[in-house]
Order: sequence, then C-alpha cells, then structure tokens
Amino acid sequence: MHALRELQRSFAAAIFARQPEAFVPHVRSNGLGAKDRVQIYQNNVFISLTEALADVYPVVAKLVGEEFFTFLARGYIRAHPSRSGNLHDFGAELAAHLAQLPEAAALEYLPDVAELEWARHAVFHAGEAGPLDAAALACVPESRQAELRFAIHPATRLVASRFPLLAIWQAHQCDPAGEVRLDSGDHDRLLVARRDYEVRMDRLTHGELALLAAFTDDLAFGEACERALAAEPALDLGATLGRFVADGTLAGFD
Amino acid sequence: MASRRPQGFSSPVTGVGIGLRAPHYRDVLVERPDVAFLEVHSENYFGAGGLPLAVLDRVRGDYPVSLHGVGLSLGATDPIDVRHLGKLRALADRVQPVFVSDHLSWSSVDGRYLNDLLPLPYTEESLAHFCRRVDAVQSALGRPILIENPSTYLELAASGIPEAEFLAEVALRTGSGILLDVNNVYVSATNHGRDARRYIDAMPAHAVGEIHLAGFTRRETDAGVVLVDTHDHLVADDVWALYAYALRRIGPVPTLVEWDSDLPPLATLVAEAKSAERLLEDRDARAA
Repeated sequence: MHALRELQRSFAAAIFARQPEAFVPHVRSNGLGAKDRVQIYQNNVFISLTEALADVYPVVAKLVGEEFFTFLARGYIRAHPSRSGNLHDFGAELAAHLAQLPEAAALEYLPDVAELEWARHAVFHAGEAGPLDAAALACVPESRQAELRFAIHPATRLVASRFPLLAIWQAHQCDPAGEVRLDSGDHDRLLVARRDYEVRMDRLTHGELALLAAFTDDLAFGEACERALAAEPALDLGATLGRFVADGTLAGFD
Repeated sequence: MASRRPQGFSSPVTGVGIGLRAPHYRDVLVERPDVAFLEVHSENYFGAGGLPLAVLDRVRGDYPVSLHGVGLSLGATDPIDVRHLGKLRALADRVQPVFVSDHLSWSSVDGRYLNDLLPLPYTEESLAHFCRRVDAVQSALGRPILIENPSTYLELAASGIPEAEFLAEVALRTGSGILLDVNNVYVSATNHGRDARRYIDAMPAHAVGEIHLAGFTRRETDAGVVLVDTHDHLVADDVWALYAYALRRIGPVPTLVEWDSDLPPLATLVAEAKSAERLLEDRDARAA
C-alpha cells in the first residue's frame, strides 16, 4: 500500500499546490501532454469545489463578482480543505476566512453575509423535531415554569449583525442587484428557520433574540426571561413564547 | 479474502431510469414520468432532514430508487470514513435501494478530500487494496455494491493491468457488481487512444448490474482534443452506438441516463431514457 499512498500524496500535493508539472513523472505520456492531463484534474477539483461554495454562498458570490470569488475559493480550498466525501460541511469556515482576508477587508459586511448563508444551508439540511406538546405545556404548574428548558428546533439558527443583512440578501435575489443603504443604522437580528421545507428569515426584536439565544444556551426559562427583559423591558413574554410555540421554533421542553 | 465465484448479478429492476436532481423535484412529483427507476447521489441525502429526504421518501413509494455514491473514496489509503459509511448504511436502510454504487477511484489522502474521481494505478498492490476496501464496505452495508468505471484523463505510468481486467477482477474477488458507464468507456478510450469496444469485450457479462449513459464535453486545447465527463449534454451518437454494442455483448441491463449540470427540462431527460429503452427492447426482441 506504501507505493499507492505515496503516489496519491504526490497527486494531491500537485493539485492543491496548482503545480501540475510536479506529478508529470508519474503519468504515461500519450498524445496530449502529461502536464495538460494533470491540469484537467486540477481544474475539475477547483471548479467543482468552487461551485460547491457558490451553491452555498450565492450572495457572497454576487457581492464580490466571479473573478474575486474564484480567487477567494482557491485560497479557501487550500486553507480549509474538504474533510469528507460528502460536501455538506465544506465551506463552514468561510465567514471566518473572509474576516481575516485582507483583500476582502473593504467589504466589512461580507463575513456576516457568509454567516447568514451558512445558517440557511445548515437549516435547509437540519433534522426534524417537535411539535412541542402545547397542551402539556399548559398543564405545567406556575411554580415549575421557571425551571423549564425549551428546545429550539434543530432547523433554526440565530444571526445577529450590525449590518442590514436581510436587505442585502434580498437585494441580491434579483439581477441586477438592488441598492442597500449601509448607513441606515439597521442592525439585523434574524431568526433563520425552516418552514414547510423552505428556509425563512424573520427579524427579531432585541428581547426575542435574547430569549431564543438563552434557550440555545440551554438556560432555564426563568433565567432566559430575565435576559430577554434586560434586553427589552417592554417585551410581552407570554405572547412571544406563544408565538415561538405556534410557529415551531420551539420543538419541545422538559 | 475469500474468493467467490460470480453468481451473476441478478437485477432487481429492468428498463431505463433517470437521475433525480433537485431542480427536477417538483416536476417528478407532479408528472410522475414513466421511467423504470430513479437514481440519486447518495451524499446529497446525508443531511439529517429537510426537503431532499422528504422528496426521497415520497418518490420511493412510486419508483425503485438507486443510491449512487461519489464520496466513499474506495481507492484511498486513509482508513475508511466510518461516519460516511454509517450515513450510507442509514440511508440504504431508509430507502431500500435497488442498487448501491460508487467508483473505481479515490478522492482523498491524509484527511484532505479533493471530491473528484481520481484514477488509480492499476497494479497488483492497488487491486488487493481496492478489494479489501470493497469487502469492508459490503460487510458494513450487508449487501453487494456496484463499482463504476470512471472517466479518466491520464493513465499512471505504474499501471500494468488494463482497467477492464482490473474491474472484472474486483468483481470476481469481492462479489461486487459492475456499473458499466458506457459514456466513461468512450471518454477514456478517446482520451487514451484506445478501442472502446475492446473494453466492452473484456467485461464479464454476468457481473454487469447496471449501465450508465450521459453526455460529455469536447475540449480542444493547443495540445489536442480531450473529452470531459461533464454530464451536461445529450448522449452522443458514438455513445449510443457503443451502448447498442454493449447490449449485444452483455445482454439487457438496467440503464440509467444521468444529467448533472445545466439541467434540461425533465421531458428531455425522459426522452433520452425512451431512446435507451428502444435500444434495450430492440435487443430483447432480437434475443427472443
């Protein structure tokens, strides 16, 4: 197996380094040159992984344009290579990669857009759960309510940003993209959730976000309520909880 | 490794199927096209839930489903990814597929995946290694799998065994079947200046469990012409001719028409399947 393993290492190294000539000695030369033949594999690998990223990050791709996205993908593929034969998890670190990429620094909101798109991807493929047993919840005595722990539906993510993310995302659903005022002061707090197999994004108030974030951190209901009220003293907790039960954001409790 | 005599790969389905891809979900559910089976890429259904699995659960009530993998990295020398294998097993338990298949290739080393079907050197070392991997996968899945010949763009200097013989030997030693991709045979033969029909001739007919058909792209470079297996075109005339030849040599085999990018309307794909069906039935008529 040793010779096979070394050969595979050498092939993979040539492709990742984009140095097809390095693998030429292992290739039978026949008509089309050996370097061109290795180059075809190099192109296939980078093109298909770039397309996989573009499938998950269509708005990032639109925002930066094709040429920059290709550059971005090349660097990303080498820095964070795919770790599985299944591409679902490939691209998870793009927001972090963008945040430290000097060439992308001018577009400050880009990492947040990437975070939103990754959240949409994760939500699309996440598992099923619930519904929460509302009748059982209604029977919980008031004295025990503060100890309840609510489970957020697995197909749910919270994304907060100092940029108007939802407007940016929406403006890039059509061609040409619409205009978004970045200085509008809009901060987005978004609930990304799957409803009837489609990914939806809804804006949350400060208190709603704090409540759901506390549930995500597995805090008891009492403590979650304190955090929500600290973030938004006027929040109607009963109505908010009722809405998250009704729309499936909360999938269970114990 | 126990060497098993091939029993013949009995087919749980007959006729021609089509690849099911996400852009066709709605049309397939609504139109219920008249095709023999649907084949999906296994890895696209490795998620925990959501639309892909819901669609698969629905279509499997109406069609036999086949699971075609691109991610097992069978020829790799890293340990087999047991998580990947576990997901494939769970998916197979869920959909009860007519076939489970993957490729005669590798796609990862030292934990890094290239997610492409990279060519193996066809040596005794590779053969023994590949057979061990297929044995391990078949034990984990509790069923035989089909191994597909890939499109290749280079041949390794170390290769001493013709690919068709290598594939036949894998089938003989492991009891796996062969997924004969006629388009890949044509693409590789053209790229390496070989005779595609000799490849078909070298196939052990009893082991061929499924045939794939797809379209390729012809690229002209300064150095010459190369065919790339892009699955974004109609099946080429030469490939139809090679398919007819394969049917004469091998017998009627369930066949799949694949299309993976720049997807046409569903009707175009179904029409391709009908073309294949006519050739399949022609051959049946002559054999009768």
